[in-house]
Amino acid sequence: MMDAYKTFFSYVGIFFVLYLIGYASFLFLSVAVGSATLYQTKRRNRLKNELAGDYFIPVSIIVPAYNEEVTIETSIRSLLALEYKLYEIIVVDDGSRDRTGEVVREAFHMHHVNRPIQRKIVCQPEEAVYETYTQKVPITLIQKRNGGKADALNMGINAAKYPYFICMDADSVLQYDALEKIMRPVLEEGNVVAVGGAVRPSNGAEIKNGHVVSYRMPDKLLPCMQVLEYDRSFLAARILFDKFNGSIIISGAFGLFKKSVVVDAGGYDATTMGEDMELVVKLHVFCREHNIPYRIRYATDAICWTQAPESLGDLRKQRRRWHIGLFQSMMGHRRMFANFKYGLVGFVSYLYFLIYELFSPYIEVFGVFTIILAFMVDLINVPFMILFFFIYVMYSSVLSLTAFFSRTHTIDLKLRISDVFKAIGLCAVEVSCLRFILAWTRAAALIGYKRKKQSWGSIERKKIEFK
Amino acid sequence: MKVEIIIYIYGAICISMIGFNIVYNLMLRRRDALFDKRTEKMRQGIRRQFQLIQKGEKTEKNHKKFLMKKLKRINYLIAYDNALQMEMKDQKAEVLEKYFSQIESVILFLAVRYSKKDKMEAGYFAFFLSEYAVNRKREMDSLLGLLLIYVKKDNLYCRVNGLKALYHLGDVENVITALKMQDDDRIYINQKILTEGLLTFQGNHDDLIHGLWKEFNRFTDHTKLAILNYIRFKTGDYKEEIYGIMTDEKADKELRLSAIRYFGKYVYPPALKWLLDFVNDHEPSHWEYVNVAVSSLSRYEGEEVIRALKGAIKSPNWYIRYSAAQGLEAHRLNYSELFDIINGEDRYAREMMTYRLEAKMLQETGGDNS
Repeated sequence: MMDAYKTFFSYVGIFFVLYLIGYASFLFLSVAVGSATLYQTKRRNRLKNELAGDYFIPVSIIVPAYNEEVTIETSIRSLLALEYKLYEIIVVDDGSRDRTGEVVREAFHMHHVNRPIQRKIVCQPEEAVYETYTQKVPITLIQKRNGGKADALNMGINAAKYPYFICMDADSVLQYDALEKIMRPVLEEGNVVAVGGAVRPSNGAEIKNGHVVSYRMPDKLLPCMQVLEYDRSFLAARILFDKFNGSIIISGAFGLFKKSVVVDAGGYDATTMGEDMELVVKLHVFCREHNIPYRIRYATDAICWTQAPESLGDLRKQRRRWHIGLFQSMMGHRRMFANFKYGLVGFVSYLYFLIYELFSPYIEVFGVFTIILAFMVDLINVPFMILFFFIYVMYSSVLSLTAFFSRTHTIDLKLRISDVFKAIGLCAVEVSCLRFILAWTRAAALIGYKRKKQSWGSIERKKIEFK
Repeated sequence: MKVEIIIYIYGAICISMIGFNIVYNLMLRRRDALFDKRTEKMRQGIRRQFQLIQKGEKTEKNHKKFLMKKLKRINYLIAYDNALQMEMKDQKAEVLEKYFSQIESVILFLAVRYSKKDKMEAGYFAFFLSEYAVNRKREMDSLLGLLLIYVKKDNLYCRVNGLKALYHLGDVENVITALKMQDDDRIYINQKILTEGLLTFQGNHDDLIHGLWKEFNRFTDHTKLAILNYIRFKTGDYKEEIYGIMTDEKADKELRLSAIRYFGKYVYPPALKWLLDFVNDHEPSHWEYVNVAVSSLSRYEGEEVIRALKGAIKSPNWYIRYSAAQGLEAHRLNYSELFDIINGEDRYAREMMTYRLEAKMLQETGGDNS
């Protein structure tokens, strides 16, 4: 029996060594490339190597909303403060049970119109359409039957007048120059079909007319750890994927899309929970299968500030949704897996997301159980295990801090010394504790997920501090 | 397998990255202070030269020497740019004109130096020129030639900034040469950037358009489209020429659409027949021609125009219905003239027309009368 255990543990050991080498190499590469790119972008902007000027490509901003009465007005006001000339705002109220529609109508003096909306993509029918032309740009409010976020976005696409559209969350705030920055890749290259913006936790930031007037690490520990996590996992990795046109996720909080291509590809999938990722994967598949030259880009300096969950319950809910969405997208497009037809997207991006995002919680939980089992049969070298864990924590912390400091330096955010200490102290807690809690959450996410599809995530909303 | 070694190597590299971040941060702080100091010194120098010019004297040789020596370095050039921006605010145009004219040798010297530097620095110099180069064509002939080197560089920003500088200098021939160069190299510059850039040209637009038209056929369709759009924004004097493009069935689709838009902006009676033919084309794959032609009919009068628009509003294509409703609304027809649409059997046409009238009223009154 002991021999069987030993064989089992030696195979598990080899697996984890390979797994960790892969992860460590990817993390290192992404942070190194991410940091280098951020510094290069800073130099580029300082040397005016940018397309500054009145090159305004018209864009429709779609704001899907469900029970957003607390945040929706501020969110729209922040959109009106954007420094861009040619855009429209379309708010899609997806059958809210609160006063979302009423708040928008009253705040912006909207009037009912009998607007016919073309059904380029199937979605739930509209119940009423309101418009106003008294603001800086036209605002449209569409109240429709509840159908989920993807369905609301599809309605927004149907109503959009312009060739590009932005999708964003109703509880997010775009920085004053976000539209100009996210449109820049479209001007730079002729075949850009989608651009992802940089999403940052707004907890701790004071934003005035779309400008960040002060930035501090959030007071609460949980959002603080998420700031570090965002920089390490999202910012750095997305920059790396962008280098080989391999981005397969654009956050639903802020992304730009070419309408005609999205319509041809069939729009958002209303049956999935991760409609943002599903759409991007679908665009890769669609463009490659139809031999359409395309680029999916990531704009590191197009910034959207979003509320990071402040309670563990909300954070777990969010991650559960993300994981289910990831699972659905990966399964729905499994033919991409290691398929030459999809180039590096199939081999690198898909494989990375499969192993290090979708399977990682199971692998990590399996690892913990293996340690317990090994401990029980006395086949573990405890001092080595502690040393190994310590190295892991140190390594991940150093990378988190590298990504964090690279970001703050390159966008000229002045950090207080207390914030620096907070970041240094919390990065270890994030990788050693929060990561495992979230791994457990994600591992359990798929249990009974089918019952939850199409529902909106309900995270406690706080009024956005937009002055 | 010595896994630990790999992990230690990674760790060591990461710790050096942290070290780099700390050093970089300290350098940034030092650079900011240094930048302010340099800018202040530059400001004093520039202010003194402005005072001399106001007194009718020439700029000091030492100032030029200083600029030649220091501005070779990019950080000094940025400080100089910053100082200029501050000092130029309250200065008279003639003083500025004289100042730039007197430091022309410095600019030429720098133009040669920066043309050999890395792409980003060259791009910055091109930007610098586009900001400060005023319309002094005769005096800056050598600079114009040098700018073409920047336009040819393998860097989008350098090209765009170089073009911008050329537009500001206002020389027709060099702008055309630059456009030909970028067109020949087939390096992508968005058509919108080209059109918007041409619109900022500081010289004589009629001469530029004349020159571009003479060379029109040697450009690729991408550049042709930018030129056509530029002409549409600037002049209605090219109706005959553009009519030729609209009626050429072999011409590129986007060029023909741009030509149709031209006749939406400038009324040209001979074009009306073609516009109506486009509108009456029911081939589904031609819907873009129909849609643009319908939009272009807004400025044309006559019963056949109204009849065509009323026909178009019944199109199965949503975009065509929308454009036709806009067109009918632009003709300011009264209720009885639109009765057949608003009370007609075609539900889609009825809805679209009603919506356009509602939207128009909202746009005009803000909804106060609704």
